Amino acid sequence: MPTFPATTVDFFLAGLESFMVRSGQGTHWAVTALWLAGKPDAAALNQAWEQVHARHPMLGARLRRKWRGWRLVWETDGPVSAPPISWHALSGEADETALIRERLRGLTFGQAIMTPLHLEVFADTTTGKHLVLLTWRHALMDGTGVNLLLEKLAAPSDASPPPVPEPPQESPALLYKRARPLMNRLHAMTRAGCLSAWAQGMPQAGGEPEFHLIQLSAEQSSRAVEKLRRLCGEFFQMPFYAAVATRALRRLHESHGWTSPEIHLHLPTQVRNRSRDLVFGNHMGTLPLFLQSNALDTLDAAVAHVQQCYKDALKQGLPQASEALMALACRMPVRWFIPMVRLQNRGQICSLFHSHTGAFLPGRTDFAGAALENVCTIPSVSSPPGLGLFFSDYAGKITVAAAWRSGGLHSEELRVLTASIFADLAG
Amino acid sequence: MPKAPITPDSVIELLTSEHILEPQEPIAPDTDLFTLGLDSMAMMQLLLQIEERFRLSVSPAEMTRDRFATAGALASFLGEKRRLAA
Repeated sequence: MPTFPATTVDFFLAGLESFMVRSGQGTHWAVTALWLAGKPDAAALNQAWEQVHARHPMLGARLRRKWRGWRLVWETDGPVSAPPISWHALSGEADETALIRERLRGLTFGQAIMTPLHLEVFADTTTGKHLVLLTWRHALMDGTGVNLLLEKLAAPSDASPPPVPEPPQESPALLYKRARPLMNRLHAMTRAGCLSAWAQGMPQAGGEPEFHLIQLSAEQSSRAVEKLRRLCGEFFQMPFYAAVATRALRRLHESHGWTSPEIHLHLPTQVRNRSRDLVFGNHMGTLPLFLQSNALDTLDAAVAHVQQCYKDALKQGLPQASEALMALACRMPVRWFIPMVRLQNRGQICSLFHSHTGAFLPGRTDFAGAALENVCTIPSVSSPPGLGLFFSDYAGKITVAAAWRSGGLHSEELRVLTASIFADLAG
Repeated sequence: MPKAPITPDSVIELLTSEHILEPQEPIAPDTDLFTLGLDSMAMMQLLLQIEERFRLSVSPAEMTRDRFATAGALASFLGEKRRLAA
């Protein structure tokens, strides 16, 4: 049977999904929503959809352990056939939120989704606008991967088959040495008693996936981008959004009456030198930062603080340590990895922070021939941490998806979170 | 310690010796660095190396696409910054 080497990040996502399934939280689904001004070209969309399935046998792959060398591999049965794209008509009063919420639970009109990718097109019969929902298994792809996939679905292409990923090569002793700075960091987090660290006795919300979209108008987005450019220049969006999210988290903590000198933040980072054709290879790692609560009083101070912590983490070699730790963990059975996933995800409300920053589909104004008005991704989150904040930017419009498990965030808490994000971005 | 000269070649040497970029082909002064994979993490590593090697502090807000597009453009920007600081 054909196999592909698993990357280290595949292993983290597999461990995360395994943790979610074993703790009764279900499969780790995500939904990417695309709002189109008109009807997409069905033939072009079908062609691109079939091309993606024909070229990526990963879509029918299972993560397996090879006895020889105890290596993780994706085992495939060869190319898979594309599931049909579903087309539906919606009345003007259709509830987009309910549609997305159902898909985050792995369901479509009450039926379980059986394939890792599921594509649906909803036509608004009153306005002619269309909503495309791509439901995807997060274990197979991350926030960067879905952007690469959207580029391939936006128009059929003659792209060559994807490259084979490189498996981790180094010896466990060398990996352990390289992973040491991060291990020290995680232990320091435990000692510091970070506010967001989950502690024995705290309730855990493990209910169904929920979400709320904070959609900024063009004018509000423009104000946010102006602030971003002033504080971070053209390249460092992540520290800006991380500062906004962390300040919102601090407000949430304050509303609970919690105080702590530090906030633990997982900053998503791009794994270096990974091919853009490796759509299902997973591209993101995380960088743990320890932010001083008292350095987050203003947005300007918070951005500078995140940037400094980011610099310090790079000086300490934490990105390389993070990759080494994942490579080391690849040699463990997935179930042994779960305590590490729990440790990484510590936080009653939110310690794991993901941000899919950067413009979606840069330079593209249409999707399958229809003008693209906006796009964002809403992942389900595990508990712990129980809450994730995801920032998307398309054509100057910023959308923030807050995702949590039901019971983990109440309406007043959501109001506090939303108000803080709005004030920082557009205030 | 004397300050290291800032030329397109010294910028290219910094990019490759510190593994900020690992291109298949040699980098020329006018090669587009973004197509070679100059992403945000690489940029942050580049900032750290610029501080260490050229003794210049570049704030993120000063980092524009034009200034960092090529080794030549970056050398000009850093050279001008050093001249103004002198």
